[in-house]
Amino acid sequence: MKLIRFALSLLVIVISGCIFATKAWAFCGFYVAKADSKLYNQASQVAIAHSGKKTVLTMANDYQGEVKDFAIVVPVPVVLQKEQVKIAEPKIIERLDAFSAPRLVEYFDEDPCRVDENRAYNGAPMPQAAPAPAASQRGEVSLGVTVEAKFNVGEYDILILSAKESSGLETWLRQNGYKLPQGANQLLKPYIRQKLKFFVAKVNLEKFDQSGIEKLRPLQIAYESPRFMLPIRLGMINAKQAQDLLIYILSPKGQADVTNYRRVKVPSGEEVPVFVKNEFSDFYTSTFANSYDREGRNVAFLEYAWDMSNCDPCSAEPLNQDELKQAGVFWLNGSEASTRSMPPIFGRPMPEADAGVFITRLHVRYTRDKFPEDLMFQETSNRDSFQGRYVLRHAFTGETTCQEGRRYTRSLPRRYEKEAQTLARLTGWNINDIRKKLPQVQKLSWWQQVFLSLVD
Amino acid sequence: MAFQDARLVQILFLSTFLFLGFWTRDWTLRSQVIGVAIAACLLTQFAVQRYREDQPFTPQSFLSPLITSLGLSLLLRVDHCSTMALAGGAAILSKSVFQVGGKHVFNPANFGIVMALLLTGDAWVSPGQWGEEGWYVVLFLATGGLVVGKVGRWDTTLAFLGMYAGLEAVRNVWLGWTWDVWAHRLMSGSLLMFALFMVTDPRSIPNARTGRIIWAGAIALLTFILRNYFFIPTAVFWALFALAPLTILLDRLFPDDRFIWAQNSQTQDSQLEVSV
Repeated sequence: MKLIRFALSLLVIVISGCIFATKAWAFCGFYVAKADSKLYNQASQVAIAHSGKKTVLTMANDYQGEVKDFAIVVPVPVVLQKEQVKIAEPKIIERLDAFSAPRLVEYFDEDPCRVDENRAYNGAPMPQAAPAPAASQRGEVSLGVTVEAKFNVGEYDILILSAKESSGLETWLRQNGYKLPQGANQLLKPYIRQKLKFFVAKVNLEKFDQSGIEKLRPLQIAYESPRFMLPIRLGMINAKQAQDLLIYILSPKGQADVTNYRRVKVPSGEEVPVFVKNEFSDFYTSTFANSYDREGRNVAFLEYAWDMSNCDPCSAEPLNQDELKQAGVFWLNGSEASTRSMPPIFGRPMPEADAGVFITRLHVRYTRDKFPEDLMFQETSNRDSFQGRYVLRHAFTGETTCQEGRRYTRSLPRRYEKEAQTLARLTGWNINDIRKKLPQVQKLSWWQQVFLSLVD
Repeated sequence: MAFQDARLVQILFLSTFLFLGFWTRDWTLRSQVIGVAIAACLLTQFAVQRYREDQPFTPQSFLSPLITSLGLSLLLRVDHCSTMALAGGAAILSKSVFQVGGKHVFNPANFGIVMALLLTGDAWVSPGQWGEEGWYVVLFLATGGLVVGKVGRWDTTLAFLGMYAGLEAVRNVWLGWTWDVWAHRLMSGSLLMFALFMVTDPRSIPNARTGRIIWAGAIALLTFILRNYFFIPTAVFWALFALAPLTILLDRLFPDDRFIWAQNSQTQDSQLEVSV
């Protein structure tokens, strides 16, 4: 009987094993339009500097509509005062993006006849970072609503609201001229019951016109709370399709981990055909989409994890201390500063000023059905470095006269084919289309092939 | 029979999970850390038995430390090998140091994890590491069922999962979340792993069924509170650690026979008493 039970269990395991074997970016709040503009937030980027219970959250978004229509509602754990909210430099998110973006590296094969002793094409010349892909184009009391704080920061008018009932909050927002998306009521309720406050920002047109800026700048908020999370559920209400969110988590300790979803590394380190250099954005978009589908659309992707004092290869200059502070890093001059700075083993070391910041870049593409819960994080002491990195190896194209050279030339088609297959596997592109773009190799005559194979 | 001792089955399955996780789940897991976990647990066991000099060595002496080391490798993540050595050593030592009436107070792997989290600042647990696909839920339930069935402790798993699922359901309704949120919170591989393989360890949990149900329910309640009101992602491990001593009290209140591995002979029983 026990044997049968054991065999049955084993069978279930084998079957489940078999099943397994076969098998524009977004925002943490929602936009509430004040007019009937159709707003879909497809792209947003968030930087979170976090240590212990302290968090500095910088929210940038790719809002496309009329400035006067812009408004957001973001659940926050505590009531924020004016000094806890500021405008961040718009460049800072671009800098974080550029520094941590998936990258191409190029190697150039040397003349195989010149360096016979080290089999040239296995050598490892200094890599050069090819340009990173473009950054992701990317009656109050009776309603139970209390205005906890009201102030102005830069071009924004900010309200911090707390509410007792979601219907009251919804009514209040509507009465005050905010147009809420359908279904907002149901989504607001869980946040109210968890005693979260609401950070409501809209554009003060007068200030906006005075400032002379063209695009809305990122908002940065600082608070202290044991909650280390990012509300994404509200963001889903504006979007009809999957939304992308890039999260840069800065920590003095090490990598940040998502605790309620699986975290998966994007494919990395693969050799791809050199023509990818001209279409890297397409390549990465397809590779990401392919991994997203393959992993079941319910994981958070790790695109980069590195100590910010160095990089190898660098897709952009590491951020200096001022820039890190602009990104919200608050521990650099304090007692927590550089407690865990890593000796610069990789790449070029940077001045000690940048020590003690570890960046984790997470890329989450989410939809309502696959991401029912908000994202929860934890900081870990994991100091492993990781980067989304793709390798181009340029073949030696000069004339080869020695035997090693002929062997090298003969090996190229096989290498190109392998790169083509890798590319097809990563991106899901048609292998025949890829093959058409491969470099043409000087064809050997049949007797050259026979003789060379004899020499091998 | 080859699998007379449930521990052999458990070792087989824990290693399977470790391989599955290693090859299919993209874990930050290094093989040398697994090696250190196994070495630390086995060596500490060896040292303890040498020091006590009251029990002879048998191959069975190493089954329990092996299970502990596999459990640690599956659950605990460290940046330095020394942290894993500390966790392994602490886990095995806790069995001899914290003993009441010949029964250890803490679950060894849980004790090791908590010590590493408390003392080093270098360790962490990745609760999301399994994801929420259905295949491993089936896998866990099947193997957990097999192991738990063999040692007769299904009630603990049921009490724990039932209580936890119930509390999360009440919270879900109260917050007004849809049911997929509830399912997502429960379909966590790490939670199931804990419920099937850690909270069921027959040597450190109450002897009587009533005691076990109260105990598992209390752990579920504390886990729920720590996770939702203190925002601790590793809540289950802290809850088990904090409530493990409750076993002593529950054993007094609800006395029953103690569990012993492999029940074939008296001599073997006495050997295994200290080996676990």
